[in-house]
Order: sequence, then C-alpha cells, then structure tokens
Amino acid sequence: MKELRRNMRLVGALVVAAFLTLSGWFALTVFEQGSIWASNSYNTRLTATGAQRGDITDRDGVALATTQDGERVYLENTAARRALAATVGDTAGMSGTGIEGYYSSQLLDISGSLIERLSALFNGTERKGSSVKLTVDAQLTAYISSIFPSGYRGAVCVLNYETGEILAMVSKPDYDPYDAAGEDVEDTAYLNRCLQGLYTPGSVFKIVTLAAALEHDPNVLSQTFVCSGEWKYEGGSIVCAGRTAHGTIDLETAFARSCNVTFGKLAYQLGLERLRETAEALGFNENFKFSDFALYNSQFPTEIGNTSDLVWSGIGQGTVLVTPMHMAMITSAVANDGVMMQPWLVERIATESGTVTKSGSAQAWKQVMSAQTAQIIQQYMYTTVESGTATRAQISGVRVCGKTGSAETSDDKTVETNSWYTGYIDDGAHPYAIAVVIEQGGAGSRLASELASDALAAAIQMVG
Amino acid sequence: MGKVEKMRRALMRSNTRLLLSGVLVFQLLAMALVAFKDETVSVQALVLAAALPLATLMVVNLMGKLWPVDRAILILVLLLVSIGIITLSGIARSEVTPRTQAIYAVAGLVAMFAGAAFVRAWKSWKKFAVPLAVLCLLALASPWVLGSWYQGARNWITIIPDVLTVQPSEFMKPVLVVVLAAGFANRPRFVRCLPAIGFAAACCAILLSERDLGAVLLYFLTTVFMYYAATSNALLTLAGLGMGCVAAVIAYHAFPYVQDRIAIWINPWSDPQDTGYQLVQALIAIGSGGLFGMGLGLGSPTNIPLYHSDFIFASMAEEFGLIFAVCVLAVYAIIVLRGLIVAMNARTSFHSLTAFGLVVLLGLQTMLIVGGNTKLLPLTGVTLPLISAGGSSLVSTMLSMGLLLGISSMNAEDEARDIEQLALKEEVSL
Repeated sequence: MKELRRNMRLVGALVVAAFLTLSGWFALTVFEQGSIWASNSYNTRLTATGAQRGDITDRDGVALATTQDGERVYLENTAARRALAATVGDTAGMSGTGIEGYYSSQLLDISGSLIERLSALFNGTERKGSSVKLTVDAQLTAYISSIFPSGYRGAVCVLNYETGEILAMVSKPDYDPYDAAGEDVEDTAYLNRCLQGLYTPGSVFKIVTLAAALEHDPNVLSQTFVCSGEWKYEGGSIVCAGRTAHGTIDLETAFARSCNVTFGKLAYQLGLERLRETAEALGFNENFKFSDFALYNSQFPTEIGNTSDLVWSGIGQGTVLVTPMHMAMITSAVANDGVMMQPWLVERIATESGTVTKSGSAQAWKQVMSAQTAQIIQQYMYTTVESGTATRAQISGVRVCGKTGSAETSDDKTVETNSWYTGYIDDGAHPYAIAVVIEQGGAGSRLASELASDALAAAIQMVG
Repeated sequence: MGKVEKMRRALMRSNTRLLLSGVLVFQLLAMALVAFKDETVSVQALVLAAALPLATLMVVNLMGKLWPVDRAILILVLLLVSIGIITLSGIARSEVTPRTQAIYAVAGLVAMFAGAAFVRAWKSWKKFAVPLAVLCLLALASPWVLGSWYQGARNWITIIPDVLTVQPSEFMKPVLVVVLAAGFANRPRFVRCLPAIGFAAACCAILLSERDLGAVLLYFLTTVFMYYAATSNALLTLAGLGMGCVAAVIAYHAFPYVQDRIAIWINPWSDPQDTGYQLVQALIAIGSGGLFGMGLGLGSPTNIPLYHSDFIFASMAEEFGLIFAVCVLAVYAIIVLRGLIVAMNARTSFHSLTAFGLVVLLGLQTMLIVGGNTKLLPLTGVTLPLISAGGSSLVSTMLSMGLLLGISSMNAEDEARDIEQLALKEEVSL
C-alpha cells in the first residue's frame, strides 16, 4: 500500500502539473492572441455588436473614417476616399488588410474594460470603440493615387526608412468603401497590392544580387566584366535589354546601367546557396509577423534545377517573387546603413476615455547586411539616378538614389513588362523610401521612375 | 454514532458551508439573469433558478446525512453540473436543450447515489470483475449491431429513435476503471496483470474500429497510469507508452481523418470556411469573450458547430470570459486533487486504485477537450465532463463521482474508527 500511495502521488502530481500547465498555457495564449482571433474577418459578432465604431485618423489627425448617427462616414472627396480604401478598408469586410477589419475588435472594443462597459450601461449611452491613429499621410496617398497613370494597375509604397513608418500605400485598381461588396467594383480591387501583390522583381532584384556579391566576395569590387550584349552559358543564354553591348565595365557601371549579363555572371559565380543566404537575410521566404498587417511572403527558390534558373534568379526573373512593401523595406535597409526597420501603420490606439492601449514605435527587424555593403550599394544607386537608367527619378536640389526594373511576366514577350522603380531620398531630414510597380507599364521603367520622382517630391512637401 | 465522529462531521460541515452558500448564490443569480434577459420572462429559467439551489442543498444534506462523504467534491461536482445547465440555458437555440440536460442531471444524481451505495455495499468485488469485463466488451461492441455512423464515428446506439440514444463508451468508463482496479489490486506480477491488460487492449481495439479516437486515447492512458500506480513497473509502463506512440504514428499514416485532424490543429486558419471552420469559430469565440466575457446569453457562441457539447468550453469562455474559464479549470483541478487524497486514504488497494483511476480519467478527459477547444492539442471528440450537453457523458461521470464519494465516505468511517480505538486505548492506559 505504501508503494501504491507513492506511485499514485507521483502520477497524480504529473496529471495535476499537466493540468495546471495547460490552464496556464490556455490563459496566456488567450490573453496574448485573443484579440487577434476576435478581429478575424470570419467573426460575425463584429457587425452585430452594440458599440459604435471608433474613428480612424491619419498622421495629421485628418478623420479617414468616423461614425455619425450610426453610419460609417469616410472622406468626402471620392478620389481620396478610393485612394485610402486599401489602407483603411471597409465595414463590409471586403478588404483583407484594411484597418477596419484588422483592428475591428479595438475599433469596436468588443472586449473592452469592465469599468467602461458598466459606466456606459449606467449612463445609458452608447459605447464608442477605440480610435486608431495611423502613420500614413492622407494627402500624400491621395496625391500619389492621382498621379498614378490612368488605366494601369499596380502599387506604390512610401516608407520612412529610419523609423519604418508607412507614409502611403496606393494600390490600383481601387474601390469605394461605400460601394464595398457592390457590383461596380473592379476585379481584384479589394487586394492591397502593396502587401498582397507578389510580383516578379526583375532588375530591382539586382540590389539583392549586388549585396550577396559584396557580402561574400570582397574582390568583386576590383573585378571587371565583359558584356557583349549576350552571354551563352551551358544550356542557355541571357541578353541585356535591346542586346546592348555594355563593353568592359566595372561593377558600379554594370549596376547603374542594369547589365543583365554581368548580374547573371555574378549569380553564377556566387552559386545558389550564397545568393539564397543573402536573399533570406533580406527577408525572402520569411513569414514576417508585423503587428499591424499581414504581409505575403516574398519568395526565392530553395531548389534550382539547372544553371538557367540560377542565372535568371540573379536578375530577379524565374520564380523569384516580391511584394512592393518588401521591396521598399529592402531599399530602406540599404538607405538605413543595413538595418531593416519593421514597417508599422498604427501610431496610436486610444479608448474613448483617452487611455492609450497601443502605441507604435520604431523597431529594428534586424541588421540585414553590413553597413559597409549598404554604403557601397547607396553609392551605386546614386550613380544609377545621376547617370544610369534612373535619371528620370531625379528631383532637383535633392540627392536621390534608386534602381529601375522591368520584369518579364511572359516567356514570349507578348505581354508588356512590369515597370519597377525603388529608391530613396538620401537626406536625414526627409528619410523617405519608395517602391513603385506598374503592371505592364512597359520597358525602360519610364512610368515608374517618373511617378517616384513626383511622389517623393510631394512627400518632402506634404510630410515635411 | 460516536462522539468523535460527531465532532468530525460538525467540522466538515462548517468547512464547506461557505463554499455551499457561494455555489447556491451563483446558481440563483445566474439563472435569474437568464430568466430576465429577454423581453418575455423565461418560465423555465425561473423554475431552474429555484430548482438548482434547492436540489443542490437537498443533495448535499441528504448525502451528507447518509454517509460521511467528502462534501467539497460533492459540492464542486454539483457546481459544474449547474454551470452546464446555466450555460446551455443562456446560449442554446431552443429551451429543450437545457431542459433535457436538467432531466439527465436528475438521472445523474440517482446514478451518483447508486454508485456510492454500490461501492459501499460491494465487498466481494473479485467475483464481479469477470462478468463486468464481459458486459463492458459487449456494450462497447454493441454499436456495430445497434448503431450507425454519426459524425465520423460509430459509437452510438439508439434505444428509442430520436429520443434516447446512448454512447456505450461513456458508460463503460467507470466499468473499465473498476475492472482494471480489480485486475491490478494487491500488487500482482506481470503475468497476473495480463488478463486486465488484454481486456483494456480489447476495449481500445473495439473503440478504434468505431473510430472513437478520443475514447481510445482516454482508455489507453488511464490503463497505463493505473498499471504503473499498481505495479510500480516503470520499464513496462514506458514500453506501453512507447507502443502507444507507435500506434499513433501508424494511425496517422493509415487513417486520412487522423491526418486531417492534425492538419487542422497545426493551422486551422488555412481553411477557415471548411475543415478548419469549427476550430476557427471556437478561437474567435474565445477571443471575443476577452477577460470578462460577452455576458451570459449575449454572445453568439452558437456560430460554433457542436457549441453545446464538444465545444462548450469555448462557448463558456465567450459568455463568461477568460477569468471564469480559468476558474472552472481550477474547480476540475481541485476535484482531481481531493480525489487523489481519497485514493491515498483508501484502505484496500482495490478502492485506492478505483478512486485513482476515476480521478485520472476525469483529469485527462478535461485536458483533452479543453486543449482541443483552444488549439493547444489536436481535437478529439470527447465531452467536457459534467458540463457538456449529453446524457451518456453526464450520467456516467456522475456515476463515477458517486463511486469516488462512496470510497471517500468509507475512508472517513475507517478514520473515525481508528480515532475511537485510539481514544479507547488511551482511556485503558490511563
């Protein structure tokens, strides 16, 4: 019997310990993730709750969404309202990433504090949910949307590369939140292409290939490359745009002129493992978990069948895919001396009584490349804008660095290439980075780089 | 009745009086809240508001008068049963669900009294082990003849169509524990344990063929733990657990529905509209409840499929909030702890093992379903003991608790006898 009791004590203690662990684990998980679960768009309670939705304002306090007499009211100006729909979202839950959906449990305070609930009950007033203040500039967003070439699809992201604040997200086509779930909405308009659009990066990916080369092989700086407009490797060939022969060039010139042959050779020289290592350090294949939005995973191949795949990956073709937001983050990391900041969208959430329940702050994701590498890339991107392929991105009186790209989306050139540009203002007073993609915008990246120049100039004026 | 025992009884009563009052007030207020929450007053809820505290008071006093049972366990068991009825009254789509549950609870009370009386009267348990084992196997196999597939499992038998269906795997839980306790009693060698182990294995095999995975897991773990407690043979116990793991891996590869369950557990959000729907809705419900809950009768836990049975813990968490849900778990933990004390104080290894098995089974079952509701463990379809809607589970668990209470009363009497004898000895020596 004695032994029996000892055994039972042991097993009993185990069972009780497991039980308590489970309870504690349960409590902790719910405490940490409960509000995330609750703000899921499959939560039908959100539309049925008694509380009034709180306000959404931009960084200057401009009301983007308020509730008046039980109706949700958005910006009066139709164009501006549509421009901000991707960021703000709608109450019908059509936008997968909008603040209205993503932060609905806070906007409605469905699990609000007991005291506030009781006081609302006793006063007989309708409870109002928390208000959300964003980091975006509504004026800038509306402006970029207005200069986006009409009839085209695509996305523009503007970030502050020192803090990670998102200043503007434009996704085309857009939709009117008043008409959400209506019949007149264009196809794919509910998609926020900044966060959910996976694009072939094309030449803007050369930033990553360049970083990989600099990080893994310091001798590459003194290396010269010979470009005859075409390079035949075993099993295929790669050509430069228009079969232009760049001649004997160094790395900087190759980058500024976007020489495919050189970067194909660089990728071949590096091999898949090293190229992938850098790409993954820069956030490819990474499942980012940012607090304010879900970002689709950018993709870099983990297995490569033949030389062709490797060479084409080096110039951002093949199976490489990137979101515009991630591209802006990579450029930001270059501009910020190798430190990638976490992008954030919500500056502050405060309850009706003024208690701040969340406040955003600048947080580094990590050092994604050495400061030295970043500085070399900064120089190359400057040369690209000064005298390379991105001269259209210049802004008078401002030091601009950038990189263009035209991404092939079909094998037989029947579809126009996607026009890319990513760059930043090299000035601590205006630390803004941008990524622009215009679907089928055509080669030469004219549309994208001109738009970026206008947008960044406007950012200096509007954000300060 | 001896003087010492009188004192002892008085002591026990005063200890649990506060607990009892708290439970009564909770039952009254919660049911009154449900009764008056809508425009029209719910008569059924009003009746229950009076009936629940009255029944609790009566049962505690009656059972306490009859036998010196552990009142804390008794009161907490009744609390959990009433939480089930209250939650169902607050959320169920029709009033029939809580009414049926209340009727089952009455049957459960009868089963509880019967269980306690049975275990106290039943001195020659050895003779009954074999007939009970045969009964258990027959009952478990009966769905193959009398039952039909329902929600991926074939573990129900229909007595009266649409009125009375019975889940034998629930009713056989206390039987399994009693048979195993008889088989493992008095510290037998391994060979002498074999019949009991074979019996348990046969039970598991039958349940597996009916795809009642939750029950298989519970039967298996209970057997392993009881075997270890009885024989202290760590090596064979670990071997048994290892075999269980191997069986789980084989099951994973052999049965697609097991793979589905695991996939849903790993990421229910990947398919929130179809296969992951249940779990996603449960998580959303729990998250919506927050710390203090949406309020009794105010949330919409009915969005969760099986909100009243397998997922009642999620429903409860939405209605009452996280803090209450953790308190309910604490109540289970206290019942398990006090049950373990009962097991350790028992005078014969048969009674000790029976109490132990019942308590371990209760704890494991609670863990499985709470973990399943909250995505901490893969979901297995077992009920939340004493709370989930469903007659088989409720009556069977109350029967188990009756057995436990009966054993606790025997312990109390034995102790009282010891004290009296000790006092007698002291008087003599004086």
